[in-house]
Amino acid sequence: MLTKDRRKLIIPFMAPGLILYLLFFIYPALQGIYTSLFDWSGFGLPKKFIGLLNYQQLITDDRFITALKTTLFILLIGGFCVFVIALSFTALLNSGIAGKKFFRAVLFFPNVVAPIALTTFWSMIYNGRFGVLNSFLIAIGLKSLILPWTDPDHILGAVTIALIWLYTGYFMVILLAGADKIPQEIYDAARVDGANSLQVFIQITLPLMWDIVGIALVLWMITAIKQFEFIYAFGSGIQVNPATWTLPIYLVIEGFGMRDPVFRLGYASAIGVVILVIIVVFATLLRRFLRRDVTQF
Amino acid sequence: MANSDVVTNKPERHPAVIREGLVQQIVKQFFSYLPIVLWATFTIFGMLWIVVTSFKTNRELYSSVWALPAVIQFQNYIKAWAVVKLGNYLINSIFVVFISVGVILIVSAPIAYVLTRIKFFGSELLSQFFTAGMGIPYQILLIPLFGMFAAWHWADSLPGLIVVYVSLSIPFTVYLLTGFFASLPVELEEAAALDGASPFQTFTTVMVPLASPGLLTVAIFNFIGLWNEYMLAMIFITTESKRTLSLGLYSLQGSMQYTGDWVGLFAGIVMVMIPTAVLFIFLSDKMISGITLGGVK
Repeated sequence: MLTKDRRKLIIPFMAPGLILYLLFFIYPALQGIYTSLFDWSGFGLPKKFIGLLNYQQLITDDRFITALKTTLFILLIGGFCVFVIALSFTALLNSGIAGKKFFRAVLFFPNVVAPIALTTFWSMIYNGRFGVLNSFLIAIGLKSLILPWTDPDHILGAVTIALIWLYTGYFMVILLAGADKIPQEIYDAARVDGANSLQVFIQITLPLMWDIVGIALVLWMITAIKQFEFIYAFGSGIQVNPATWTLPIYLVIEGFGMRDPVFRLGYASAIGVVILVIIVVFATLLRRFLRRDVTQF
Repeated sequence: MANSDVVTNKPERHPAVIREGLVQQIVKQFFSYLPIVLWATFTIFGMLWIVVTSFKTNRELYSSVWALPAVIQFQNYIKAWAVVKLGNYLINSIFVVFISVGVILIVSAPIAYVLTRIKFFGSELLSQFFTAGMGIPYQILLIPLFGMFAAWHWADSLPGLIVVYVSLSIPFTVYLLTGFFASLPVELEEAAALDGASPFQTFTTVMVPLASPGLLTVAIFNFIGLWNEYMLAMIFITTESKRTLSLGLYSLQGSMQYTGDWVGLFAGIVMVMIPTAVLFIFLSDKMISGITLGGVK
């Protein structure tokens, strides 16, 4: 009876959000895929169908290849560091030390701060003239380690370190929530058997929170591939060397004429399709590798 | 809600650990704490350093990035507010973000309610359809969406930006809210229905109050995300007076190499940081449980 009466709600409750979602999310997304088959050099100008020519051009575009490499570098190298560090901190905080909530809050904090604030902070660290990092290296007598951190050769590493700093706290919070779900008795049993903290974490905690690790990896994958704002603001986007352009950055620069007043709408849309394909491929791969039984408590 | 705080982790000390000797134990503890303590110290000092720098003069900043200001320079803020028009941008941000968050909740909560409480043909599929939006990199839809908005004369307007923000936030919000609604008991709704409340009344008088912690968490998340957002604003807003605070600061940062007024930028950055930082300081537990709302149950 209850359900039957409530059915009247379905349409009025779903309609507003569904219409917005279809009209301003799904429809333009499909339109984006379609646009990638056209040569189109400005809103209001005619489009010319060119099939897969945009994609063919992408393969030979050095800037695209660099952007693809940058995105993959952040995804894989950055992701490896984020998860190794976040898991180590999770193991430490989950072992019952004091100050768990404090560390969790402090490490998470940068994630609520505007990227523009964080990048200004980091650009002051790396600044060659009066940067904190170089003046710190001089102060502790390691003058030989001074580098022009924002040079094309070093900036990708420098940006990735900043991203690792930002996201480790975020993913640690997720992983820690997974670790905390595991009942205490299981640990007690392991400790009675004489296992040390590291063994306990690797052999007990990690397998039991595997489903959470999987969710966290998928989230990281999406976060890393969509990476735009933090890097774009790092040294003010377009002024910075293309060495740090990610695929989304290259898309916006090409599509919205951020560098030259040239709009390459079809070409930029093709980059968008590539981003989508990368996400789908990695999501499928992750699902394959992570398929394990979910532990219920 | 995540139960990270429910389980207290106080492992019993195994006799073998006690035999190890006090000094060894302290040394071991010290080294396991050291990385996270350094990490947290760096983060805290970094964030404080931004605030301190915003009270210095440019000359003080160039001569020493570490030193405290000789005199606290409040005029950095006055200048940022009036001369750089950040006050104007702040009002735009408040207008856009508050309305967006309100509308996001008004359209998403009913959807989440229908999807969790009423089983109908295709409800499962619709759920997945909304969730799929989280995996779609929204750079792919920027070009068609901008084209649409330009044709309708919705581009370069704050209400237009609100429509973009609301539409793109729906998948994430519906995902989190369905997870949360599913965890709430149905008995109260059934009781209200038996008392003769209409389905709509049941939703507004029983479900909404019951779900208010989850709604608040989702509201905070959207608030922080949109408050800090500048990529969409950069694409959809072209008129200077319509910039949001994040976008205004991005542009200000871009002109730093010409103006060199770093302390003014830092004053603006403190302004953009304050609302989200205050939210976090008071509601960090709620937020931290929030990021595990959807995935970690």
